[in-house]
Amino acid sequence: MSRKQMIGVARPMSDAAPKSRGEARFAADIQLPNLAVAKLLPSPHAHAEILSIDVSAAETMRGVFAVITGNDIPAVEGYDPYDHAHGFLARRFAVFVGQPVAAIAAKDAETAEQALAAIRVEYRVLDAILDSTLAMAPESPVVSRDLAGEAREETITNNAGDAEMANGDLEEGFASADVVLEETYEIPVLHQGYLEPHAVTAWWQRDNAVDVWECVQSPFGARDHIVQTLGIPGHKITLHTTDIGGAFGGKDQGLFSPIAVLLARKAERPVRLALTRAEELTMANPAPGTRIQLKVGAAADGTITAVEGKVCVDVGAFRTYWGPASFSVCHMLVDKYRVPAFRLHAQDVFTNHVGFGSYRAPMAVQAAFAIESMIDELAGRLDMDPIVLRERNLIAEGDVTSGGTSMPKHGGVSVLQSLLDHDAWSASESPRKQDGLCYGRGFALGLWGSGRFPAAAIARLEKGGYVRFTIGQVDLTGSYTSLAQIAAEELGISADRIVFSRADTSRAPFASVSGGSSTIYSMGGAVHEASKELREKIIERAALELGVERSDVRMDGAGVVVAAHPEKRVELAALYEAETSLFYSKYEPFVARGAKGGGVARMSAPCFSGTIAEVAVDPATGKVKVLRLVTAQDVGKAINPMLVEGQIEGAAAQSVGAALWESVEYDEAGTVLNADLLDYRMPTAGDLPEIEAILIEEDGGDGPFGAKGVGEPPMIAPAAAVANAIRDAIGERINHLPLTPERVWLAQVKEGK
Amino acid sequence: MNRIELKLDVNGRERQVAAAPHQTLLEVLRDELGLIGAKKGCGTGDCGACTVLVDDQAMCSCLLLAVEAEGRQITTIEGLASGDDLHPVQRAFVECGALQCGFCTPGMVLSTVALLRRSPNPSQAEIRDALAGNLCRCTGYDKIVKAVLQVAKEGGHV
Repeated sequence: MSRKQMIGVARPMSDAAPKSRGEARFAADIQLPNLAVAKLLPSPHAHAEILSIDVSAAETMRGVFAVITGNDIPAVEGYDPYDHAHGFLARRFAVFVGQPVAAIAAKDAETAEQALAAIRVEYRVLDAILDSTLAMAPESPVVSRDLAGEAREETITNNAGDAEMANGDLEEGFASADVVLEETYEIPVLHQGYLEPHAVTAWWQRDNAVDVWECVQSPFGARDHIVQTLGIPGHKITLHTTDIGGAFGGKDQGLFSPIAVLLARKAERPVRLALTRAEELTMANPAPGTRIQLKVGAAADGTITAVEGKVCVDVGAFRTYWGPASFSVCHMLVDKYRVPAFRLHAQDVFTNHVGFGSYRAPMAVQAAFAIESMIDELAGRLDMDPIVLRERNLIAEGDVTSGGTSMPKHGGVSVLQSLLDHDAWSASESPRKQDGLCYGRGFALGLWGSGRFPAAAIARLEKGGYVRFTIGQVDLTGSYTSLAQIAAEELGISADRIVFSRADTSRAPFASVSGGSSTIYSMGGAVHEASKELREKIIERAALELGVERSDVRMDGAGVVVAAHPEKRVELAALYEAETSLFYSKYEPFVARGAKGGGVARMSAPCFSGTIAEVAVDPATGKVKVLRLVTAQDVGKAINPMLVEGQIEGAAAQSVGAALWESVEYDEAGTVLNADLLDYRMPTAGDLPEIEAILIEEDGGDGPFGAKGVGEPPMIAPAAAVANAIRDAIGERINHLPLTPERVWLAQVKEGK
Repeated sequence: MNRIELKLDVNGRERQVAAAPHQTLLEVLRDELGLIGAKKGCGTGDCGACTVLVDDQAMCSCLLLAVEAEGRQITTIEGLASGDDLHPVQRAFVECGALQCGFCTPGMVLSTVALLRRSPNPSQAEIRDALAGNLCRCTGYDKIVKAVLQVAKEGGHV
């Protein structure tokens, strides 16, 4: 098989047919004998001291198997009251509305609900801290902590981490600017919106060991979450991943597995905890609300001279696990462009909101809304084409990045050029009809660094001449298909002959999170290496079998042939039999391994993604209709173009949701006001236009066959592009997402005056 | 809780179940009949992941009590095609890349079948309107619409 027969081929996902038949098995579909149902008792208060909990009535109800409270959590080494992981069940303090204060395992949901109603909790209500600005004032109350050991209460503050990064001469930068703009941008709490709610099942079977089935992106991270919170040794936990009904960063290592594990031990039977949608929106880990103050200076020719910014992220009651979140934003404000001088202050603040988490391109949507709105405004002031202005300032190969490393080769210029030439942009005016609507178009640019995480894969020849890979990585939306194409390309066999075993943590070699746009980049590398090693072994033994030199043979479909005499061949199926025959085996079994280390710099394979959005605004109602979306993305090499397009289209939809509708709303007491999918308004098929995805393939990706991470980059720009299109349509800038009809209507009324 | 003996017509077979009066069709399908292709994404009729066909109409099975389903023809994703065969709508979804995580897919496929049975050659606007009750967070709907158009082009006979 010649080079690149499987790479760059659009193939349906290998599990598409079973999924279309409803055969995917998600976390809530796992069936076990005597399975009990778990339910949670949420705190009604954003901030309260729990004085007492009386569970006696609940415990003795018929059909109730176990009740737990914070008192059932074992003391563990390394307990950290600021760590999100330890907030799964309230101890002395409840620190957000919805934080579980007790949990019940019962024979069914109705019984569990009745038992919950029988639990009596006595609270001392404390002042809730719900505003990140007020939280940092010296006289502000602080989020209470159940401290361990010698720690003293007066050491508690609401500062969840702050940092400053600076470069160049800021005063000089602003002094030399012809235009200086200053704005404050607000981005609300966003939920990842995966359709499958979190679900986890735990079962203690024997020998003090527990099996856990959970929909998580990181199987080993989910295992470690249980080790960390409950002190159970890692080798006593087997974490089985399931099919995942969407994750987008929200299902990294799971949230409430410790509750299921504790209940299952006490109930002496398997216990499943599946969150309701209301619980998802209240007590899971949405993306944090963010405020970005930005000051940008530029010369008359559009060259950026200085950027100053203050970023404040309300991280909720616990630290984000990748934090400080605001620090990520600071990088993302200055990493796309050459910025000779900048000073950025990052501040994460604790409040009595739920502990926040990551959402597809964490914090990049927020950063892009600010900087890409600002650049758009600059273009207007300077009467420049917004894409040309970005081209002028684009960071080039070899420039120093905000992280201090050298910028690798990238396809940013091609992304910009392809969109500049696109008819969605190059038409002198977007089509305007005489229908009373205001039309506009906007552009925004996103950048994602692509990181690499450690990953390992085991490959072996399988009966019938198949090749089986055993990996711990989970397949969110087609990664196994692309991994099979990588393996097939290297092995020189059909991708249909590659099968994957998604193994649990006691059977798989290490795999990292299926996130960070890293799966193909990291696990793809490991699968590629394992394929090379297996191929070598197959070739070597096939040559022996055929009685020729190894240089004389090549892989051919389901077998190996002598290149000069293709009629002389040995099938992979026969090689498998030859290796496994008990008394007559000729070789040791074919096993190969591939492993890749992580720890590569943040900007190891930078991926630019730009979006043009066209909108129509109804001035009578402020309602926005998105008419067109075009995204061009530097993908390195698309292993499977259809799946890459799917990533771009899906991300565009989510980003438009953030632009126009999505926001988790809280009342003054910290209670979520829109804890359902009618009011947490995600885009429907009727809300969206066709989405055009343009794949830019350029060298520079150092993933397998030149691939780069593709999942997160397309999320970054569309929200800002829609905001810029609305600015173009109504002549007024709105700095507060989402751009609801009310905000748009008010803004254009202001403009009309 | 008192249970009521029900005879349900599910995927062309009569099924006898004992259901509590408050149990939804979704709960009975999943918990009593083991038909777990219908998914619970919200339980409040907002997401469409539990969509089944009731007398050829797409309905959220989480909003229908099981007792109300008696005497009506219920089709779940498991009943759409037999064995390894794919229904034309399923095949188009697979070929067009119209599914990713697969959680919304059973409901989305069944809503498409309901649409094509009442309108075999729908416009793009009609498709988007008909599927607006089925949320998908992965695809952006683009390839779903293309898949439906492909079935329509083949005649739309489902």
